[in-house]
Amino acid sequence: MTGTGGSDPSVPAVQLTGITKRFGGIVACDQVDLTLYRGLVHGILGENGAGKSTLMKVLIGLVLPDEGSILIDGQPRTIHDPLAAAALGIGMVHQHFSLVDQLSVWENVALGEAGKLDSSGVRRRVAAISEQYGLDIDPEAQVGTLTAGLRQRVEIIKCLRRDPHILVFDEPTSVLTPEESEQLFSTLREVVAAENRAVVLVSHKLDEVLHATDEITIMRQGRVVDRRPTTDADARSLARAMVGREVSLRSERAAFGLTEIEEAADVGPEDGQAAETVISDEPVLRIEGVTVRGRRGGARLLDDISLDLRAGEIVGVAGVEGNGQRTLGDLLSSLVPLDSGQVVVNDSVVRTGAPGAMAKAGIGVIPEDRHDSGVVLDMTVAENLLMVDPHRVARHGVMDKGQVTEAAQQMIEEFDIGCSGPDAPLWSLSGGNQQRVVLARELAADPDVLVAAQPTRGLDVGAIEYMTDRLRQTAVDGVAVLLISSELEEILELSDRIVVMSRGRIVGELSHDDANLETLGLLMGGSEA
Amino acid sequence: MTRGARAAEWVVLYALSIVVALAISSVIVKATGGDWWPVVEALVDGSIKAPGRWGETLGIAAPLLLVALGTVISAKAGLINIGQEGQLLMGAAFAVFFSFRIGGPGPLNVVLLLLFGALGGAVWASVAGLLRFWRGVPEVLSTLLLVFVAVQAVGYGLKWQWLLLADEASRGNRNLVSEQLAKDNRIPRPDIFGNEFPITVYVALALALAVAYVLARTVWGFRLRMLGHNPRAAQRSGVSSTVYGATALAIGGAFAGLAGAAMFAGGGFSFGNYRLVPGFSDFIGWTGLLVALMARERALPAVVAAFVFAMLRTGAGFVNSTGVESRITDVVQGLLVLALLVPPAVVFLRDRRRARAAATERV
Amino acid sequence: MLIDFFSAVGDVLSSESTYINGALFAALLAFAATGEWVAERSGTLNISVEGMLLSGAFAGALGYHLADSVVVGLVFGAFGGLIIAVVQAQMSHRLTADQFVVGLTLNILIVGLTGFLDREIDPRADRASTVEIPVLVDIPLFGQALFGEPWPFYLLYGLVPLSWWLVYRTRWGLELRAAGENPQSADVSGIDVNLRRRQSIYYAGLTSGLGGAYFLFAQIAAFDDSIIRGQGFIAIAAVIFGGWTLWGTMGGCVVFAGALSFQLSLQGLGYELNTELLQALPYLVTIGTMAIFARRVRSPAALAQPFIRGLK
Repeated sequence: MTGTGGSDPSVPAVQLTGITKRFGGIVACDQVDLTLYRGLVHGILGENGAGKSTLMKVLIGLVLPDEGSILIDGQPRTIHDPLAAAALGIGMVHQHFSLVDQLSVWENVALGEAGKLDSSGVRRRVAAISEQYGLDIDPEAQVGTLTAGLRQRVEIIKCLRRDPHILVFDEPTSVLTPEESEQLFSTLREVVAAENRAVVLVSHKLDEVLHATDEITIMRQGRVVDRRPTTDADARSLARAMVGREVSLRSERAAFGLTEIEEAADVGPEDGQAAETVISDEPVLRIEGVTVRGRRGGARLLDDISLDLRAGEIVGVAGVEGNGQRTLGDLLSSLVPLDSGQVVVNDSVVRTGAPGAMAKAGIGVIPEDRHDSGVVLDMTVAENLLMVDPHRVARHGVMDKGQVTEAAQQMIEEFDIGCSGPDAPLWSLSGGNQQRVVLARELAADPDVLVAAQPTRGLDVGAIEYMTDRLRQTAVDGVAVLLISSELEEILELSDRIVVMSRGRIVGELSHDDANLETLGLLMGGSEA
Repeated sequence: MTRGARAAEWVVLYALSIVVALAISSVIVKATGGDWWPVVEALVDGSIKAPGRWGETLGIAAPLLLVALGTVISAKAGLINIGQEGQLLMGAAFAVFFSFRIGGPGPLNVVLLLLFGALGGAVWASVAGLLRFWRGVPEVLSTLLLVFVAVQAVGYGLKWQWLLLADEASRGNRNLVSEQLAKDNRIPRPDIFGNEFPITVYVALALALAVAYVLARTVWGFRLRMLGHNPRAAQRSGVSSTVYGATALAIGGAFAGLAGAAMFAGGGFSFGNYRLVPGFSDFIGWTGLLVALMARERALPAVVAAFVFAMLRTGAGFVNSTGVESRITDVVQGLLVLALLVPPAVVFLRDRRRARAAATERV
Repeated sequence: MLIDFFSAVGDVLSSESTYINGALFAALLAFAATGEWVAERSGTLNISVEGMLLSGAFAGALGYHLADSVVVGLVFGAFGGLIIAVVQAQMSHRLTADQFVVGLTLNILIVGLTGFLDREIDPRADRASTVEIPVLVDIPLFGQALFGEPWPFYLLYGLVPLSWWLVYRTRWGLELRAAGENPQSADVSGIDVNLRRRQSIYYAGLTSGLGGAYFLFAQIAAFDDSIIRGQGFIAIAAVIFGGWTLWGTMGGCVVFAGALSFQLSLQGLGYELNTELLQALPYLVTIGTMAIFARRVRSPAALAQPFIRGLK
């Protein structure tokens, strides 16, 4: 029933040996070994940047390794491209979807196969797979109109349709509600147990890996540091292996989904420091009845949102990705105009969607995807640091080279940005350092409000810790902080107050003390509080 | 590979692909019974060596450079303007209309005429800007289509005396022709070492320096580049894509229009002899766009590229005398452009293939 | 005066020759626009279509010159278009050169090359024989224009549906549409994006080359380097006008060719219309259509954007 022969259970389905991949000077994978067997779910655990994704890209042919060998069912293979991987029975459900919005569900499923295009056959198979795994979907729907959860469903069907005997899931739960995640894992179990496939679950969340896998490989800085059966693993030891030392800091634990809820509920936002924070009574930022529609009069991306923010407090916006958080961030970045309602900063109404209006009104933003609106990769570090207000280093419209360098150098030192100098192109910096550039720039503008959207995504532990501390300090300094995050632990740890978004609405507001994973999870799933 | 070896490799690759392009050209000439070497000699004679020729070449390089500079500016804002040919023609038409239907006080005339030319190009490019930022029409399509509209519009203007057509006394038995620009309204062409060229050459060079400076050093240039690289980051930082984008398109058009006006008032062997005629633009707009693209959208390299393309044009004038049809120079020019595109691509692909081969060997 | 004019318009509209002329131009545009449509659906704004037409026309003349056969001429024509397509595709979608640089250069180069070769070789061609389809050809007004044409005209009746079928009903078509909409996703799905794009350009080269040769054999039968005169750009306009659907594109071809033929016929009757306006009409109409519908009609999302794996 699998694509190729050789289903002898004692022969590993996949055996990667000594895989090494360098990007420039960075070693993404360093002599990595990995063995996968049929009938087992294998978890690959590691922080962002530990090399998990690169390893998987090697397996599905998107990245060619510099060294190492690949055995599939005991046979040595090279995998040049995704098609070759598919021919060997390897399929991947991508973190960033591989779907084409403008095509229908069945067309997307058929994409990348070989042979004659048999539309009715594909539709029948889609229906059959939907039924078999409980992945309900309309094969004629245009993919662009589907929600993130449904899109992932299409992705999974697309993958299963090729009947792979090796199946890779890359961070599959980031776009799902807890409930949907649960459903996904039961599908996953079925795929493995009933059909004798080898499954890889790539994740940075301990809970998930402990819950859904049979075996775990832990990676750190491009190397495999540990590997053990899941029955022998517990959260604490896994976290230690991942980070390389005892995990004590809250922020670290939050990053891996390790926060014990009871503990979090007892203490205020970070022990002790909360006391220093003075939260004013008057709101600095008032979002009043804001509605934003999608393009061409489409669905409401934000639906009658109201929210106040006071100086010195951190308000967390929780929710499954794709429920309007991005639009909220874009709104406060002057990137989208609104259809009704208003945004008020310090008692004056801000024109929405007008270039730079929010920044001018005193709202700094660390955007969700820094490459999208946070930085300009092809410009220098100095230029990126001075993007918002170049006039302060210019005279009569001409930028003063000396002042530029000086101002940039100062920020580089203050925020400890790792780079070869102010003139280094931004793309040459690591993700963490790029994020520091954004932070430095936004704080240098001396904002009244700081919006931090998914501020720790894609960062390693050290950078996460730094970012978390900085946010807390910012609030202490009297800035109102809006923390938008899909990592519940991060929200629980930092926020004084938490609102939950679902389908563009605020479906609930909780004080820090009332919030825990369960109440938040229920709200995120869409049930009103 | 060491730096030196790498540089040497580039030189070899470029030399090789140019040689191949010339070899193909020679084969074409040979195959049709012509002789290649005299063609090359004629090209060199016609562009530099023969008396007065390098001045002529400079005279053609100037409008090419102007067009290219405008292209650089709109490209920096992330806009693909490919309608320079039409913008240039419109510039020339505006300049002609001003010269013969409005007119200015004596010595100022020539300056105003150039400004009107720039205005014409800017207006024409702004039509595309308006369509882009008001109605969302991609500028790459609208600028292209507007070229052909401009050609017809100018053709129309040349039919009516109140627009561009010369009165009967001055046009004689010709149709579709404007008056000839009076001698004292022309751009001066001082004689230097037996070569004469309009002083717009200096203007173009000065503008090249200015464009390079503005883009690299001013706040405006900085924000324009930001817009080109990442429009969303720019919007967030207070750069209006509409304002900056439309301005960049208009400036791009203004440069092309200026080029058209300069061709009209500056003379030169193929520019209608101080008259506007159908076909006046003569591919200068298209070629200027190529100049900018070959210079990878940078102002100073565009100076060199403009001169090279101008050489091929002036050289062509001498090729006919060898008995070989002068159209061959279009072929040579095309082949050379294609040849220059090859080396960077070859290096890029070779590096990738090596990585691939290395991966295969290991198994 | 005005009454005279209207009666002239009536004459033109009721004269078969208006429709025959219209069909001639419409067919030229349709050959080119069909291929251009395929190329644009895969993500290339193929401006070398002008050069492909010209190259096809010259190669057609050359083929006839050598073999004394229209069939050979057409094969040569298709091949002539293909040569341009190969250079365009290999330069822009293998060597990653800018597609506009390549297209512009090719357009200039091919005018020079065909002009040069024409003077040197001076190929002689002849008109293709006319084939009348019985019964249908007797339909008043349109019969002659649609069913009484030089025989290469009828290739269109196969070519256009074939193109539709290829793009919407085959795997190849699905993959090239994906390449034009979202090359990154297509790549991850295991599709060789640039290969599909190159193939689409080859297809455009074949149909445009055929179109150029058709025009030569259907009309003047003598090559001239101004024979195409921007019809390639009108074909591009037709694709845009048609909102990147095949039937819309064909509609554009008919409308634009009709306007041209209308003007020529009126001129034949001694009425000088505003020829410039009529010649600018295809472009004005296309720009107008885009201005009205640009936000509703979507171009292929990755149109004119190069794809290099690993570069986002």
